[in-house]
Amino acid sequence: MPPKSILKKTAVSADAPPSARPVNQRHLDLALHHANIIEQRKTVEQQVLDAILVLMDFPTAPNADPTRPSASDALCFCESVIPFQPADYDSLIEERNIADKCGYALCPRPKRKAPSRAKKHFIDTAKGVEIVDRKVLEVWCSDDCAKRALYVKVQLNEEPAWLRQGGYGDKIELMVDNAEEHRKGLPLRLKKGAATPPPPKEEDIAAAWAARDDALADLAIERGETPGRLSKTSKDLIQERIKERVASAPPVPPSPSYGPLLMVIEGHVPLSRSNRNESTTAEKGDDEDEDDRDWDKHLPG
Amino acid sequence: MADDRENYHPNLIRMWRVYRTTKEMCRDRGYQMLDEDTQISLSEFAARYGREDGEPDRSRLHFSCQPSEEMMRKYTPPPSKTEPDPKPDIGNIWVEFNSDENVGLKQLRDYMQHLINGSFYSGIMICMKPMTGMALRLLRGAAGIQEGPKGGVEVFVEQDLLVNITKHELVPKHVLLSREEKDQLLKRYRLKETQLPRIQVTDPVAKYLGLRRGQVVKIIRKSETAGRYASYRWAI
Ligand SMILES: [Zn+2]
Repeated sequence: MPPKSILKKTAVSADAPPSARPVNQRHLDLALHHANIIEQRKTVEQQVLDAILVLMDFPTAPNADPTRPSASDALCFCESVIPFQPADYDSLIEERNIADKCGYALCPRPKRKAPSRAKKHFIDTAKGVEIVDRKVLEVWCSDDCAKRALYVKVQLNEEPAWLRQGGYGDKIELMVDNAEEHRKGLPLRLKKGAATPPPPKEEDIAAAWAARDDALADLAIERGETPGRLSKTSKDLIQERIKERVASAPPVPPSPSYGPLLMVIEGHVPLSRSNRNESTTAEKGDDEDEDDRDWDKHLPG
Repeated sequence: MADDRENYHPNLIRMWRVYRTTKEMCRDRGYQMLDEDTQISLSEFAARYGREDGEPDRSRLHFSCQPSEEMMRKYTPPPSKTEPDPKPDIGNIWVEFNSDENVGLKQLRDYMQHLINGSFYSGIMICMKPMTGMALRLLRGAAGIQEGPKGGVEVFVEQDLLVNITKHELVPKHVLLSREEKDQLLKRYRLKETQLPRIQVTDPVAKYLGLRRGQVVKIIRKSETAGRYASYRWAI
């Protein structure tokens, strides 16, 4: 007697998706969808690396003025950081610092040097004396560069570029003092007199977000998507119509071909001293049951 | 060992161990190496590479080595119709001990440039701390790109080389197969390489041996019941 399969014999797999397409096609689509995301991610990561390699050596002129960057440098900087997430921007600052440069990509000056190599320093600030990490001290050449650099950072999209939809938020604004030289369609904010930039008002920010959401919703409707959720890329994986799952064979109750029905666990009849004799005949196929049970000889009972 | 360790700066002792493991690693990969290099005593190391303040001078530790005949043979692909006289995929290596507190793209690029200028086939850079994420990203993509040397750049952190892991009794011996030996193995067992069990190139022993994707290592274990037995793994 050949060994019995412990697998249930079913005419049709109950789990089969009720799809018009063959199962494998669906799996292929799904795999392809994920492969595409991974591919896009790789591309973006490479773009970010390339951008950092370029921006590490910025600005192009050694005597450039970070408050009045050249139009070409400013444009290149703004375009390069579009795929950046804030963490990528931090990496750019880190790499520039390692090369001893001010963290702001449009500044040619070296980063500030802490008064000593000690890890912590006492620093006089407007709020009094503060204890500051040496690393924090040695990021920028000046507070002005810190402001200009962070002004860019807050505009970066938190969402990884390979998951962004609709390409919104791809305009990065710079804080410059020579806006008139950057007219060519470059979004620039003119710095007003004082060193501190006027912080954007909260209502303005809220209004801007609302406007953006409206625009996105319009775009989604235009594309025929439900506003809010699905992106184009995953559309292939979603079926237009929901189909009922129809079994082609009537369900059959499990019918054990041997042994006392009550003792069966998932088709297997466990041996106990009482029913051992009746059931062993049916179990002959399983070699483990043919052991002469040496292992329990030493046990009491 | 006759060295009186109390007389030396802990950083110097540390560096001495890292240096010896590095030399052993090069020897075990098949580069030419004198025994006196892998067995340098602490006192001699201190005399040669110690600074006046007792710290090690990393800039004097750099070295290069040449592959042995045996290594050249192992790394030479079998001759084919298009390439009747194939060149070995190995060459001189430059090993550098970086002394910068932080290592990023700048140092990695400078290092690659140095390898190109010196016509080195490959390089190993040993850093005090892990390098930046962007530098690692460049490294990952650098194998075989125009910017780096042909044989690529490997990076170790000093910490990884304090102890030679392959000397541990529980680590079985790993032996790299030549292309020819690999082909024979696959033929004998009628296997495709993809059917072999795998070893990641990031595995510590694989890193130690500098395994490349596609190579096969023979792993020889001692067994109390079976004596010695060998298994094979495909590097991915
Ligand atoms: Zn600056």
